Amino acid sequence: MTPTSTTGILGHFYEPADALAAAAKVRAAGWTHFDFLTPFPIHGMEDAMGQKKSWIPYVTAVLALCGILFAQGLQNYVMVWDWPMNFGGKPFAAWPAFIPITFEAMVFWAALGSALIAIIAGKMDTIPQPPPMLVKTGATIDRFVLWISATDPKWDAAKAEAFVRSLGADGVRLVDVGGGADA
Amino acid sequence: MTRHEASPYATVMDDGQLTGRPIVVSGAGPYGGDLEVPEPLVTGGKKWVDVDRDICMHAEQFPTKKWWIAFSIALAFLGVLVFALITLFYTGMGILGVNQPVGWGSFIINFVFWIGIGHAGTLISAVLYLFRQQWRTGINRAAEAMTLFAVACAGIFPIIHLGRPWFAYWLVPYPNARGPLWVNFNSPLAWDIFAISTYGLVSLTFWYVGLLPDLATVRDRATHPWRKALYNAMSFGWTGSHRAWRHYESAYMILAGLATPLVFSVHTIVSFDFATSVMPGWHTTIFPPYFVIGAIFSGFAMVITLMTFMRGYFGMKHYVTLNHMEAMAKILLFTGMMVGFAYSTEFFMAWYSGSEWEGFVFKNRAFGPYGWAYAIMFTCNAIIPQIFWFKPMRRHTWVLFTVSILVNVGMWFERYVIVVTSLHRDFLPSSWGMYALTAWDYAILAGSFGLFFTLFLLFVRVLPVVAISEVKGVMDPKVARSNPTPAAGAALQEA
Repeated sequence: MTPTSTTGILGHFYEPADALAAAAKVRAAGWTHFDFLTPFPIHGMEDAMGQKKSWIPYVTAVLALCGILFAQGLQNYVMVWDWPMNFGGKPFAAWPAFIPITFEAMVFWAALGSALIAIIAGKMDTIPQPPPMLVKTGATIDRFVLWISATDPKWDAAKAEAFVRSLGADGVRLVDVGGGADA
Repeated sequence: MTRHEASPYATVMDDGQLTGRPIVVSGAGPYGGDLEVPEPLVTGGKKWVDVDRDICMHAEQFPTKKWWIAFSIALAFLGVLVFALITLFYTGMGILGVNQPVGWGSFIINFVFWIGIGHAGTLISAVLYLFRQQWRTGINRAAEAMTLFAVACAGIFPIIHLGRPWFAYWLVPYPNARGPLWVNFNSPLAWDIFAISTYGLVSLTFWYVGLLPDLATVRDRATHPWRKALYNAMSFGWTGSHRAWRHYESAYMILAGLATPLVFSVHTIVSFDFATSVMPGWHTTIFPPYFVIGAIFSGFAMVITLMTFMRGYFGMKHYVTLNHMEAMAKILLFTGMMVGFAYSTEFFMAWYSGSEWEGFVFKNRAFGPYGWAYAIMFTCNAIIPQIFWFKPMRRHTWVLFTVSILVNVGMWFERYVIVVTSLHRDFLPSSWGMYALTAWDYAILAGSFGLFFTLFLLFVRVLPVVAISEVKGVMDPKVARSNPTPAAGAALQEA
């Protein structure tokens, strides 16, 4: 499922500010299949990398609506249509009593669905990544790692390496785990 | 607010140097005035790589003697719970104190108590996140875990309260062969099923989403291939990609936004169990806010209790500093006053409503046969937290610990007072009665603490107890960065 790329180039930065400056340069140089692997999210990185805002909030809105419809449908079906019961002469469709469950169902669908889709989106809506079990990047510890995948249209190993070095990155290295690029 | 921006005045401070007051840099403000910068959230001049070691260490080494002692005690209490429950199921509800007229006894008290404990975890993780309170990063993981385990404890009680717990699945509305016989959606007890299960699952999701980057950190530190593979699977192969962070942050914000109204709704619905009845003392509109604020109050007390242990026995002093404890003490003071205000409002309304029954119930609450419980409640919840007006008390570990325990005692008695005093003397004096917990009630209450602490102690052994990636985000990069050394570079070249 995860698009992984076994070939690419890595370069380390040590501070978020350096990574931000580098990201803008990589983007300006016309690379598209690049990414920054970081221990924590960096404010402003989306702009620097030229990413659009996440579309997860729209997913949440749709799921919240589904939750509302589910709860209203269930309660009205049960209380009005399938098994109407007379509680002290009150109306069958006692809508104020249906609100708590409607609210809970809305939150349930929206929260669980958004989290799940965000995790999947983090794997799918991305560029080919170095496989985490094979390539030790240090990005979960204290490095801010520039990754340019060999799937980039303007990929040329020698030029990419020279470019990453020109950004002032440390520990620049070419990764070739599987012996060839595949996505 | 940018989380990573270097503060030019951030200093390396030790724990003992923290004052709880901002650092003043004279003449550095935008118009030449003083600039006040907060003290660092992580003390001891830690580097990012130290954070990983300090926090993951507990999950990577063999448990200490202290942990085994604590775990044995917790397990013994869990054994008490299991034994008491088996006896309860085998013998029947008669071994408990509940009877006419007090049909809701310790189980409902414990249920409301544990659900209330859970609320602080969500408050810390969601509400403080939305308010950009960066100090939450040190405590949110453990507080969210506390929420999950408290909800697990709470969930037991309504089920065993049914008397025939093997029919608990009847509470779930699904097409069945009994008619189909549906639940009554007009009943607050049916709302509870949805509220508690939603709360439990959304809290679990929120906690797990927060864990993802940290699980990847544990994976990258692991040496054993199986351990590496396990944590890789648990983190869904997290690489730290900024293209993933973008969706992650968006989802985290949304979860916080959804969890905030959720936490208020859950205790509101729990209070509806009481407020929609016609019992004097229960049938009041103040119940939802009163329950919610009481829940936050008791939950923060439990967080303080747990954090005292984490600071003392798990060496988390650099991440959960005295400034964190002081901030929590302030919340305890504030919510304690709100709770005290609610107690007073209830009395005022009982008089102002002109209802004879309401007036009697409140006189009976404070001065009747259960006056001692009311006195414990009022003293522990409304009076004792007033000590936190004094700064030295807010920064004194033993004072904090003692008050946190007393607050939870008081909050347990608050639910005792609400449940028991309204029921034991209602409209008809001929049906008045008294209620007392039996040994089995006490055993199940004590046992629920065993379950809670067993789960918590297992949690600290296998998962990072502090949100590593979030703590890294609030550290000063100039202090925390690693310096390129040939050795460190070489370690990363292998792969």
